Amino acid sequence: MWKNSSLRCVLALAILCLTSLICSQEIGSPGEPQNLKCIMHNLHKMVCTWDVSSKGRYGQTDFCYATSDLPPPVCIKTREKRVEIPVSESSATVTITTNNVHGTAFATKKFTIHKTDISFVPLTPHILSLTPDFSTSTLNLKWSDNGSVFPYGLDAFWQIEILRKETMEKVTRVTYHSKLTHENILLSWNWTSDMPLECTSHYVKIRCYINVTDFAGHKDWSDWSPVEKVPGKDTEPNGSGVFPQDTVVAVGSDVTICCVHEEGQQIQQMTYGSEIYPLIRLSSRSSAIRVLNASASDTSGTNVVCTLYPEEMDGTVLFVGYAPDTPQNLICETSNFLIIKCTWKPGRPSGLYGKRRTKYSLFERISGKNVSCEVNEMSRERVCGFPVLADQKTYSFTLGVSNPIGQTESSLLVDLTQRVHPKTPEKLTASGNSSTSVRLRWYINGSFIEIRLLCQIEISSGHAEQKLHNVSMPGGKFSTYTAQLNALHPYTKYQFRVRCSAADHFWKWSDWSRVEEHTTLEAPPARGPDVWRERSPSGRSLKIFWKPLSVSEANGKIVSHEVSCYLLDTPLEYKEVTEPSNSTEIKLGKNDCVISVVAKNHAGSSPPSKITSVELPSDNVKTERAVALGNGIYISWNSYPNVTCGYIVKWCHSSGSQPCSVDWQKFPSNTTDAVIKSVLFRPGVRYNFSLYGCKSSGYQLLKNITGYMKELPPKRAPNFTVEETSSDSILVKWEDIPIEDCQGFLEGYRLSFAKGEKDALKPRLSESGNPELKVKNITDLTKKSLRILDLQGKTSYQLDLQAYTAGGMSPPNSLYVVTKEDSVGLIIAILIPVAVVVLLGVVASIFCYRKREWIKETFYPEIPNPENSKALQFQKSICEGNKTLKTLEMNPCTPNSVEVVETRSAAPKIEDTEMVSPAADTAAPEDGSDSENENHVVVSYCPPIIEEEISNPPMDEPVGSSQVIYIDIQSMYQPQIKPEEEPEIDLVTTAGYKPQMQLPISALKIESRSATEEESDKTAGYRPQANTNAWNVDAPDSPGSVESNNENASFGSPCSINSRQFLIPPKDDEDSPKPSNAGWSFTHFFQNKPND
Amino acid sequence: MAEEEEEEETSSAALRRRDLCSRGIRLAGKMRSDVADLLDAYVERQGLDASASGAALDGVPAAAAERWGEQTESQRLVDNLRAYRAFRALLTEMLEEQREQTGAADPALGDALAAVLLQVSAFAYHLEELLRLESRGPAGGEEAAGPPALPGLGLFERKLRGLGVLRELARWAVRSARDLRQLAKPGPGGR
Repeated sequence: MWKNSSLRCVLALAILCLTSLICSQEIGSPGEPQNLKCIMHNLHKMVCTWDVSSKGRYGQTDFCYATSDLPPPVCIKTREKRVEIPVSESSATVTITTNNVHGTAFATKKFTIHKTDISFVPLTPHILSLTPDFSTSTLNLKWSDNGSVFPYGLDAFWQIEILRKETMEKVTRVTYHSKLTHENILLSWNWTSDMPLECTSHYVKIRCYINVTDFAGHKDWSDWSPVEKVPGKDTEPNGSGVFPQDTVVAVGSDVTICCVHEEGQQIQQMTYGSEIYPLIRLSSRSSAIRVLNASASDTSGTNVVCTLYPEEMDGTVLFVGYAPDTPQNLICETSNFLIIKCTWKPGRPSGLYGKRRTKYSLFERISGKNVSCEVNEMSRERVCGFPVLADQKTYSFTLGVSNPIGQTESSLLVDLTQRVHPKTPEKLTASGNSSTSVRLRWYINGSFIEIRLLCQIEISSGHAEQKLHNVSMPGGKFSTYTAQLNALHPYTKYQFRVRCSAADHFWKWSDWSRVEEHTTLEAPPARGPDVWRERSPSGRSLKIFWKPLSVSEANGKIVSHEVSCYLLDTPLEYKEVTEPSNSTEIKLGKNDCVISVVAKNHAGSSPPSKITSVELPSDNVKTERAVALGNGIYISWNSYPNVTCGYIVKWCHSSGSQPCSVDWQKFPSNTTDAVIKSVLFRPGVRYNFSLYGCKSSGYQLLKNITGYMKELPPKRAPNFTVEETSSDSILVKWEDIPIEDCQGFLEGYRLSFAKGEKDALKPRLSESGNPELKVKNITDLTKKSLRILDLQGKTSYQLDLQAYTAGGMSPPNSLYVVTKEDSVGLIIAILIPVAVVVLLGVVASIFCYRKREWIKETFYPEIPNPENSKALQFQKSICEGNKTLKTLEMNPCTPNSVEVVETRSAAPKIEDTEMVSPAADTAAPEDGSDSENENHVVVSYCPPIIEEEISNPPMDEPVGSSQVIYIDIQSMYQPQIKPEEEPEIDLVTTAGYKPQMQLPISALKIESRSATEEESDKTAGYRPQANTNAWNVDAPDSPGSVESNNENASFGSPCSINSRQFLIPPKDDEDSPKPSNAGWSFTHFFQNKPND
Repeated sequence: MAEEEEEEETSSAALRRRDLCSRGIRLAGKMRSDVADLLDAYVERQGLDASASGAALDGVPAAAAERWGEQTESQRLVDNLRAYRAFRALLTEMLEEQREQTGAADPALGDALAAVLLQVSAFAYHLEELLRLESRGPAGGEEAAGPPALPGLGLFERKLRGLGVLRELARWAVRSARDLRQLAKPGPGGR
């Protein structure tokens, strides 16, 4: 658009010229008035101000203004640039002409002022007074609203700013609202500082804003008023102290406490209680601490201490407590119509005491009377008295409560006649000269003329229930009250006490008076005693019994009983029986009479009690059982039509050695059952009752009843014995239990039995949980024996016998019985194993026969070539007569003794090095005897024996040496011989030889070997093929064992018939037969078989 | 005869004096112990630090004395009496203050203060007796004026003042015991 640059330049120049033209117009020419502003301070006048464009010397200014409603212009001459003109309703035209000093106008300007161009700014308010209240840290500000210049009802807003410290830090700014009333009103405003005013200087300033509703122009706040100051103590030359001084604050408040000191001093620390608080600097002479959420202080307050340097201390005491709680349970009542006593509960303690305590006042609204209450701070319930006012029944109370922190109140409206709580009756006395009545008198302190009293008399006696007797009577003025009590019981000690209340409007009873005692006089007994009689067994005398009268019937102290016997109004006998006897005996012979018994006390005699001595005959009297009820015995009977005057149940208590004391109970004719109760009844004791029927002609025994108050388990089980036992049964017999031990009606027996040995620690059968326990219940009490069947022979059984009643089981009696042996069973038990053994023997024989080839091969293999034996080579030279003999044959041969004398070096000549005796190889002989044994080993040598040549043996040769010898393997390991046995050995072992190894010469002397020697066998000599020990031990019955005979000791391993060398090739332990001599048992036989 | 009577009278007076002195010493000892206990209770109940000081002690008689040893017996007794009379007034003021500030809330401290006040009164009476014996006439000196009114004192200053009063009273109890021992000594300087 602007492509042409020359065109751009032209346009810029034009803008520049236009701008300079405008500027020259604004600035105006010199002396020209400009910037006319008009401000209203009230609604009548406005102040207009203007500037003059250049400085210089000017004369007066002509200010002319004209409005549409005021056509001729008004001109004002002024030397200032400010005029005050009236406010017009319409716009105004203003012409301002500036004149020079000579009065010649040189600049004139015309302005038009519209309503909207005018601002409304109220005049600056002035603080009339600023008053500090140091005790409450409150500032009171007073100023005038200048409302007279404004129409009525405008809203005025006052902004007040509080500043603090020398630096005038703003604390708060609040806006206060008021209504202008077209009058100058003095306004007042209070502000409570959170910091004591003494701490530092406080400043206040104020401005206002008036909301002129129909003003179209701009409205603004006035200017701030000049600042008013409340100087702090830190501005005073000698001002010092800790502030606030001894004040009271509420718990939970935030408190600022400051310490103002003198010039030159410094604050070291400030403590609140025992806690040091950080200092807040207020000025060079003042610092403060801020305690947040203050907690309740002690009784003596919380000390705030300011420690100064140099050494000085200043402080204050802060009391932190609670505002008073609203009184609870406010009650007002009177006890005497003189004083109204109001009580209440104070609620939460304020924690403030002494002069800061909570104070109470009682204000009565109707009379307008106010009473200050002196209350005990420490009591839980507070009391305040208010006088009863004449002719005033209704009272409207307000209880005012206040303390330095706050105040509250509680109200109550009462009708005094309905709030009467009389005082405790005093001076109670009882008087009377009668056996049934008494007169009581008492005094009540108070004036009760306006009301009736209701008094309650409590009547107590030792043997009657407590009774309350109410008496209503008109109230008196400090008077004595009386009451008559009738229908009392004679000869009774009574206790009386009285309390009273208002009769018409019950509010509260007074406390009970003290107890007054009174005993009524005696009266004759109310009735005759209860009588029974019994004839003696001989029938010649009659014993009469009577029951003592109860206290309520005796009406006094019974001194004696008169007993008389009449026959048709003719007295036969008379007796006076003094207390405490309650029976007597009269000798009547076979006669009958009517007996009369009269009880007597000091006041007179009772009506007579009569009973006839006639006892009607009775037959077929049955005995029945009563029912135990636990607390009594229930008996019942059928109704007997002839019984006209009732039934008598009689029984007898016997306690230990004392004679049986008769007791009885009478029942009316229509009764057919009864529960007999007596404190003397004991559980588990049998009582016998007799039921008599009273007929017009006399008493008749109807039936006997026996029973228990409560049945118990029998004390013990019956004694029982075993009468007979067999291999499968036991016959048991038992005895009866004595009645005293039954403790109830016996219901049966319980016999328990199970297998068991006698053992003191064994529990009872019933408790043992034995699964084989069997129980037999015998309910037929006539049965005294029982046979137990199906038992096992030769077995021990435990038997328990118990008896039982409805009360439970007796403890058991136990017996142990062993049943007899069962002979048939025994025979079967023997025969079966024997048969099995025989059968096994036959099977084994068959087996051996069928496997004979294998057995032969196993136990008797082919004999090896004897030419390979050195022994045979040696033999060759000896037996020269038979050079062709290649094998060792068991031909008869003259045995020779060969003594082999070995040296140490000769021993290892044996080819098989493993056969070297360890003893000979390693162990050096400890003494000469050992080495001698080694060197003089004599082996037996068995030359070929020919049976035909035996007939003539040389006499000096031992016969035994010409036989085939089977040597127990054990005997082959005899490395040593005891020295003492040596000569014998020499003799025995002169014949024979030692093939392939050194055989001990004592091989045939096993019996003489000691255990030590056996042990040494293990370490010396050759141990081929097998564990030799095992061969001996495992077959104790074998003849080859240690205890067995030597002659039998050869079956462990077969030998060649010509030599003693073993024919079984050596094997490991697996093949080595443990039971070496098993040839004597089946087991051994099979073990020697190969693993087939 | 007259000389004998005079001697008898003198010895009787000496005996009486010794008796009064020894009882006074016991009283002072008891008072010192009770004041020490009261001081502990006072410090605790008023929430003060035991080492607190700086109280206005105007009107509290100081126990410290310059040239104590050079004082005459009468002077000792008069000083003591004056001091205890002042303490009686100070303690009464403290007791009232205590009742005003705490009411019935802290009876133990009030009771202890009352007990010490009673002892101070008794000791003052005892000193009057001794002084009467010394001067063979009525007790010298007039009742001291009450303690100066201190309206400007804050509660904290009053607490400190009370502490100062009790501390000074404890010192006086020690000094009085020493004074009475000095008095009880027989000798030429004894009178």
